[in-house]
Amino acid sequence: MFMAALILILSTGLFFFYMQAVCQKVLRRQFAQEYFQAIVNANRLEFPSVRKALEDFGVPVEYPRLMLTLKCDFLALTYLLKNAANVNQRYSYEERLLILYFKLVFVSLITRHWLRLRETSAALKLTAILEYFANVVGERVNTVRFGNLTASEYLLNL
Amino acid sequence: MSDQILIHGLQYGIYILEAGVCVLLAARGGWRHLKGLFLYVTLLFGLDGVARPAVLNYFGRTSVQYAYFYWLTDVVLALGAFLVICSFFQRACAREEKLWRFVRLLLFLVFVLVGAISALSLTRNYTQLFTSFIIEFSQNLYFTCLVLNTLLYVMIQQLAIDDDELGLLVCGIGVQFAGEAAALALYHVTLGENFARLLFNFLNPACTLGMLLIWVYAIGKTPQAAPARSRAGEDAALAEAIAD
Repeated sequence: MFMAALILILSTGLFFFYMQAVCQKVLRRQFAQEYFQAIVNANRLEFPSVRKALEDFGVPVEYPRLMLTLKCDFLALTYLLKNAANVNQRYSYEERLLILYFKLVFVSLITRHWLRLRETSAALKLTAILEYFANVVGERVNTVRFGNLTASEYLLNL
Repeated sequence: MSDQILIHGLQYGIYILEAGVCVLLAARGGWRHLKGLFLYVTLLFGLDGVARPAVLNYFGRTSVQYAYFYWLTDVVLALGAFLVICSFFQRACAREEKLWRFVRLLLFLVFVLVGAISALSLTRNYTQLFTSFIIEFSQNLYFTCLVLNTLLYVMIQQLAIDDDELGLLVCGIGVQFAGEAAALALYHVTLGENFARLLFNFLNPACTLGMLLIWVYAIGKTPQAAPARSRAGEDAALAEAIAD
């Protein structure tokens, strides 16, 4: 019984560790260029400024504002992922996986805040996921022609 | 009823993905640098997707023949998984010949140890070759694969091997073995409670499906066959270039 319980704890931990590693590998994907900047500008997303604040000062700006910013950017980007220049109007498997990963890291950020642990690494992970989503949207928009409109002009008119 | 439909759906999804991985490896030419993986997935499809259902249909679920066939093929698949992990180790040590020689010896010793530990159960009852040895051997080998796979992942991180395809393949196999081990352990902890049995029946195919999906992503989306390169290997190449 003791061995079974030990194996259960270890293997459950390893399962989540490998799932996290898969998500991190997906996030490492190299894009041809930094597509996310145009999407950020067109939609006034705030996650790059949050990341800059975290990297420069090492502490989150204001906790309620940080949560609201990340949540709003997440909602905007997941909407764009599904609807902007997406012929199938649905998420791909890796997008679904990363959406789930975002939600889990978001919960871990809340837990860390309650337990007064360091929140920076979790918040940086969330901004990395958002950057990936913005890059995917930007890449899709970049491959589709919208007459004389640029990618950002198209997005502003959505 | 609905859980049976879900489990059958997962099972058919696995068959389709097994065939899909074989086709993807053959079509993209990936089988050349992933021979071990190609052979393992082909074996998995042949035994799990074709032979087992055929024997099941012919002899029936409760027959002794199907039970023998199932456990024998389970051992073959466990051996296949062990060899796949060995091939991943070889790829990770592609630039470190000395390290590979050491790892190869270690893998051989681990295999002998697993065989010896499993044989101990046989000494209790010589007549029960199947129930004692075969089942114990395959379970021990699967758990050893999980441990070895974790060591491989740590090794990849420590040597800073820049090979995303290998990393994803290792993660895929880790998800499968860790999920299966967790489900089996939960089954033992709860002494075979109904919900644990249901979870066990559902988790096993779900983890296999997860592994195959990660492999499809690894083969299909990561850049083609970049040779494994470690920091030490790069330093050696740099030293050679300077010497020239």
